[in-house]
Amino acid sequence: MKQIAIYGKGGIGKSTIASNISAALNEQGVNVMQVGCDPKRDSTRILAGGHLIPAVLEIYRDKLRHGQDAHAISLEDIVFKTPSGIYCVEAGGPEPGIGCAGRGVLTALQILKDLKAFETYAIDVAIYDVLGDVVCGGFAMPIREGFASEIYLVCSGGFMSIYAANNIARAVQRLARRGDTGLSGIICNSNGDDALERAVVPVFAQRLGTSFVEFVPRSSVIQACELEGRAVVEHAPQSDEAAIFRDLARKVMENDVKVIPTPVEELPELEELYRKNLVKVEAV
Amino acid sequence: MRTMPTDACLDPYVRCALSGAAQTALGVSDSAVLAHAPQGCNYLVDGAFSWQDCDYAQTTTLCTKLCEDEIVHGGEELLARTILEAKELDISALFVLSACGPEIVGDDIVAVCEDMQPKVDFKIIPIECAGFRGSQYDGIDLALDAMLRTLAETRPTIPNSVCLVAPHANANPTWMADLAWVKDVLSRLGVQVVATLTHATPLSDLADVAAAEGVLQLSHDAGYRAVAYLADTFGVEPLCAELPLPIGMTNARRWLTSLGERFDAEPIAENMIADGERMVTETCRRRWPMARFFYRTPAAIVADATIGIPLVRFATEEMELTPALVALRSANLDAERLLERELNELGLAPQVVCGTDVYTTRRSLEAVRPRVVFGSTIERHASEGLDVPYIFEVVRPVRQFRLLNREYFGYRGILNLLECIQNEWSDRWRSTQRRYAARW
Repeated sequence: MKQIAIYGKGGIGKSTIASNISAALNEQGVNVMQVGCDPKRDSTRILAGGHLIPAVLEIYRDKLRHGQDAHAISLEDIVFKTPSGIYCVEAGGPEPGIGCAGRGVLTALQILKDLKAFETYAIDVAIYDVLGDVVCGGFAMPIREGFASEIYLVCSGGFMSIYAANNIARAVQRLARRGDTGLSGIICNSNGDDALERAVVPVFAQRLGTSFVEFVPRSSVIQACELEGRAVVEHAPQSDEAAIFRDLARKVMENDVKVIPTPVEELPELEELYRKNLVKVEAV
Repeated sequence: MRTMPTDACLDPYVRCALSGAAQTALGVSDSAVLAHAPQGCNYLVDGAFSWQDCDYAQTTTLCTKLCEDEIVHGGEELLARTILEAKELDISALFVLSACGPEIVGDDIVAVCEDMQPKVDFKIIPIECAGFRGSQYDGIDLALDAMLRTLAETRPTIPNSVCLVAPHANANPTWMADLAWVKDVLSRLGVQVVATLTHATPLSDLADVAAAEGVLQLSHDAGYRAVAYLADTFGVEPLCAELPLPIGMTNARRWLTSLGERFDAEPIAENMIADGERMVTETCRRRWPMARFFYRTPAAIVADATIGIPLVRFATEEMELTPALVALRSANLDAERLLERELNELGLAPQVVCGTDVYTTRRSLEAVRPRVVFGSTIERHASEGLDVPYIFEVVRPVRQFRLLNREYFGYRGILNLLECIQNEWSDRWRSTQRRYAARW
């Protein structure tokens, strides 16, 4: 089973990318489970027809309040199968501003593991869509506990997006030494500045020692699908965007390379890398 | 030479801030302590219960016993429910203490206490004292701070009165005897004790604390912030602030003289000094303790600052030892300045370690190689293999079971210390193995 984690700056489009990869893989006959590791529990929204599914921690809490424990939870309570056959799970977590979401993610993943979800549903690919940033040790849990082995970073051409991706690469570098985990590539989810992004993101990927996997353009088709709560390959199967996601899904399936990244340690170096490409694009 | 442990603290002597805050809160009578903590941390509250000699019939401790659900989602709801459950108790105050877990996940105990206050009859005092905030001495300061800011009110000053701060921040295992001695002295000097922060202290005393004319700090490890707050906010005068606590002849004399002068009771103070010194010398003459062959023997003092700083003079003047190492369990700048003054006055230049841990103590003992150590059971073990003949166990934890409280302050305190020294000396003398190890 392939276990993939998608990381990136908050709001960069991780859930959109993850869900569309899941849908494209499912279309190709791969048995997929997408696990949202975010208290907002909206990772699987576009797979679930625009609905929010009940979260593992929500159900767990409900059981506790009725004098039961994690053993009272069944897979049917927490795993939801979409009409097209994708398995969806949302970890859930605390309200904003309180509690420990990282610990929550670990608890939810542990419940999933204890219930042998992957074996029961014969999952080929598990995709973990992880909250915003590696803001504390807890968010690294999908990597640390060996749930995810292939990590993809999502970024755009914005400097802060690349800065955040570099920070996540630093966490991956630290955690990759502990086990069979590594960085498998960078996916660019465009913010519309195509020329700059096509110049800077591949260079950044090269600097990290990984590959530039796919360029996902800023597109009204993707926005419309998201609004309708549908994956692109389902809602606009003939579109160019659907072809891009199918290609991305294929590359993810075929890829078996994972590296310990070599992140930029000093901010000036990252600024210089960015500035060089910015100047090059402006000159053109 | 003054040093501080440079590495991470490897084996701390003192417990965490939660422990110190609990020690302080449990010193308030007719109240309960609610630890917002996982159940393991609550053992520190149980330890604090013993330290304050609380009565099970009168003092209740509660714990929210946080589990995974409260760490993931926050435990504020559980805390609120538990505070409501405390309504069944006949108490005047509830101290709510937070441990590391809830503070890390962002539980706001202050907000919860504010929300719950209108729903209960007792006063709720939140103390944010997660263990990671510091040592138990920091916890004592955090708790005193919360108490004073919440409870102390402006009151007309009562002439000839004092409040006592941090008597429990003292590694004398039966520190209540020191407090009792201080209270007895003050009573004989005609000075009223308005409040003790804290030991069996009624809540009303805490409200009245600012009525005191002066504040006497009974610890060199904690209480500095409380003294400063009382002085700055209410104009309460710090007393004996520049003096070591009254352990040993000279320290007791200076301390009593200072108090006598401040409260116009010099003759009474002089009588107490004369009577005390006579009692000590007569007792020693009569009982003739044998442990007196220590002239210029290199000694190490490993203790909290409360006992350690006064012991420097006691060891030098009364025992005629030469302090070669002074290792204090806390690191407080005011205490360090006091120690420095003492060392200068006595013309001593020992190695000084502040905020020591067990590992650093062992390394220091290895470097200094003293022949005598004032310390605890821990130093007895830390000295193994170093050929230290005498370990005087005078600070917590001691091996001896103590049924009665024994003070170190004042003149009986001198005899209590001499008794410890004599027993260790005799023990070594009587043991054939130890006798030869002792070399004397």
